[in-house]
Amino acid sequence: MSDAPQRVYTGSAASRALSHAVEDVAAGVAAIHVWGLLGWHDIRRRYRRSVLGPFWLTISTAVMVTAMGFLYSKILNQDLSSYLPFLAIGLVVWQMLAAMINDSCDVFGLAEHMIKQIRLPLTTHVCRILWRNVIIFAHNAVIIVGVALFYSKLSIIGMLMAFVGFACVILNCLWASLVLGVLCARFRDIPPTMANFVQVAFFLTPILWHPELLGERIALAYGNPFYHLIEAIRGPIMGTDTYINSLAVVFLMLLVGFPLTLLFFSRYRARVPYWL
Amino acid sequence: MAYIQAQDVVVEFPIYDLAQSSLKRAVLRAATGGKIARDSANRVVVRALDGISFEIREGDRVGLIGDNGAGKTSLLRTLSGIYEPLEGRLETRGRIVTLLDFSFGIDPESTGYDNILLRGIMAGLHPREIRSKIEEIAEFTELGDYLQMPVRTYSTGMQLRLAFAASTSVEADILLMDEWLSVGDEAFSEKASRRLHDLVHRSSILVMASHSLKLIEAVCNRVFRLERGRIVEQSAIRPEQRPAEHAPDYLMALARRGF
Repeated sequence: MSDAPQRVYTGSAASRALSHAVEDVAAGVAAIHVWGLLGWHDIRRRYRRSVLGPFWLTISTAVMVTAMGFLYSKILNQDLSSYLPFLAIGLVVWQMLAAMINDSCDVFGLAEHMIKQIRLPLTTHVCRILWRNVIIFAHNAVIIVGVALFYSKLSIIGMLMAFVGFACVILNCLWASLVLGVLCARFRDIPPTMANFVQVAFFLTPILWHPELLGERIALAYGNPFYHLIEAIRGPIMGTDTYINSLAVVFLMLLVGFPLTLLFFSRYRARVPYWL
Repeated sequence: MAYIQAQDVVVEFPIYDLAQSSLKRAVLRAATGGKIARDSANRVVVRALDGISFEIREGDRVGLIGDNGAGKTSLLRTLSGIYEPLEGRLETRGRIVTLLDFSFGIDPESTGYDNILLRGIMAGLHPREIRSKIEEIAEFTELGDYLQMPVRTYSTGMQLRLAFAASTSVEADILLMDEWLSVGDEAFSEKASRRLHDLVHRSSILVMASHSLKLIEAVCNRVFRLERGRIVEQSAIRPEQRPAEHAPDYLMALARRGF
């Protein structure tokens, strides 16, 4: 038996202490055996008795990338050999971001039964949905590897930087999902709003089209956080000259996002079970 | 040393989904359930626990008794750390295990073994701990090769066995329980009753909610009577009040009669 853990609660004012929020996030992330298992379980559940399992997603993404690649390279008058990897990487990263946003909207709602049965850090539930989507991303990454090999500008440094970018993107998703999860638990109108927002954001973000096509209005791309979240992974693989800017922006988002999230989370963390 | 101390603990639920003006008169007349009031921001709130104070020491077996909505489950959830009190002070020392709904989280599409693992994880056990217990749990369920089959192929009785065995394979300093768990068929329910009895005995503190005073007298040494979110009476159960029969048998007989 473990040494007797002690817990003291002294009303809502003390519950709001920043240290509780930090503890929740740290303990939640550290509980790898919980979210690791539950995330895998989600995937296995979704693809039970399917022979290809999550590779169905890989196939459908590959088909979509190929079809759209041929069509849009023509419409947008782009060179297919550079447009195809651009589209493939952008689309795969976007699919992960969009799924994470949509899943964070009901992360606590779907875990309601668990939250009301046992005490776990709320962050554990968020890590579960992130992990689930990282697993799906890993299946889709086959496509990225494929086009990256086909596209010859790949470098070792680019690959390493893409991993750094990926790590920063996931950490950004962690704080954003926590905030979204808490907000959606309280305000039930946010999930449909977000679903709509994600759909619109897909077209406003340079995924199908190259930001250079914006000409003098390129600020529309640079001001879009999704552009940098995607470019931080796509840029290094494609070997663009400016990816370091996107990496910097994504890193900055972490520096600003995490402290603000902890402040927000400390205020509302203890209220979430009451809202469900 | 396991220990629980509560001082003026208050738990309130905000109600967001009702029209507040029409709600006000309707619910203020309600006779059962928590007290309905408004908080400082003029929101309608249900006061599920209204200034609860007590001290529970090592070896105590506390029975919570009260009508539906008196706050029994809310108190158990507060003790387990799920609801953090809005006011007051709550201190707990010891590893807490909560058995509120023992068939929760059973995934019908997964095998029996997978479900044992999942349940263990959700009960706060490390996969290592679960693997060391899995043989014992499997044996207890008497399900044999069925454990490699998806749970949806089980009969209701078999599902209950699995859920019961998995959720009672825990070690607690403080055990929180909503009603005495009982399962299905004659032969198994005797085994189950004994197993639960052992678990209770191994735990330093038991807090159990029940509608049945008979059950509480058989298991507990203290009773808290809850009414509308308050403890209106704390009393001790004297040993001579306890049934003379051997406890697991008596509990099983009680369970059979539906308490």
